Amino acid sequence: MRAAQRGDTVAMNEVLDALTPYVGRICGPIALHDGADAAQEALIAIFRGLHSLQEPAALFGWARAIAVREAVRVARRGQRQRPAELADLPAADDPQLAIDVQDVLRRLSPEHRAVLVLRDLEGMDEHAAAAVLDVPTGTAKSRLHRARASFRKAWSS
Amino acid sequence: MNWPQVELTDVERFRALAAGVPGAAVTERVLPQDPDRVQAMLADLDVFATIQADLVSATLEERDGDRVVVRAKGARGQRARLEGQLRPGWCWLQSRFLITGMAVAAEPGGGTRVALTGGIRVPGRAAIIPIRVRHESNKTLDRLQELLRERGQ
Repeated sequence: MRAAQRGDTVAMNEVLDALTPYVGRICGPIALHDGADAAQEALIAIFRGLHSLQEPAALFGWARAIAVREAVRVARRGQRQRPAELADLPAADDPQLAIDVQDVLRRLSPEHRAVLVLRDLEGMDEHAAAAVLDVPTGTAKSRLHRARASFRKAWSS
Repeated sequence: MNWPQVELTDVERFRALAAGVPGAAVTERVLPQDPDRVQAMLADLDVFATIQADLVSATLEERDGDRVVVRAKGARGQRARLEGQLRPGWCWLQSRFLITGMAVAAEPGGGTRVALTGGIRVPGRAAIIPIRVRHESNKTLDRLQELLRERGQ
C-alpha cells in the first residue's frame, strides 16, 4: 500500500485486485442493476484519492465509505423503481432474511439499502453505520427500521 | 442472505487504475473479433512489440504467476526493463520511464472492447507526461486491428 501511494503503479494494480471484490460486494446490493457502474465509479474515486489516504491500514474502511457514497449516488441517478412502502420490522438474524433479497431490495430507496448493507452485510453498529453515511445515528436507525419493515411486509403479503 | 454481487470487467477495472495515474488517457475501441482471439493475440509479446510504435522487441525475462519482467528494446536502441502483471485480457507494465497497459472485455452484443493507456512516465511516479498519448494509443489500436485482419479467418 505504501508503494502504491509512492507512485508504484504495479503496486496500485495489486491494490486494485484486492479492493475490486470488496467494492463490488458493497455496491451490488445498494446500486442493484447500476452496480457495475457504481463499483467502477467508486474505484475511480478511490484511485484518484489513494495518495491522500493518511493511514494505509485504514484502506478498506476508507474504500467502504467511498463505495457506499458512490453506490447511493449512482443508484439515485439511475433510479427507475418506486420507493418502498413500509410496515414493521424483522431483526437482522430473522430467518426470513435468508430468503433471496433481491426483489425486496429493489423496492427500497438507495439510502435504505445502504444502511442495510452496512448493518447486516458489513456487521457495523448503528453509530458506525451513521458515520459512514454521514447522518445522525437516529436517522440511520430509523432507515434500518423502515428497511427491515419492508422485508417483513414483502414476506407477509 | 443472498446479496447481489457485482463483477467488473477488466476494462472497467482498467479505467479505475488509469484514473490513479495523472496524465494517463484511456483509449478504447470495439473490435469485431471474439475476446478469446484478441486476448490470445495480446498475450503474445511479439505482438505487443509489433503494435507499440517505439518497440522492436519484447522478451519475457521472468514470470511468477501473473507477475512478469519484460525486456523491451526500442527503435532507437534504447532498452527498458518493464515489470508488472500479464494475464489473459490484462497487461500492466512499468519501467522507470514508461507505463503501458491494455485490457480486454467481451462487448455486450458481440465483439471485443480493447482499452489502452500508456506513455512516458514522470520518473518513478504514478504519472504520465500527457503528450500525444491518445494519438499513440490510436495508432497502437490501428496496428492491432490490422494484425487481427491479416491473421484472420
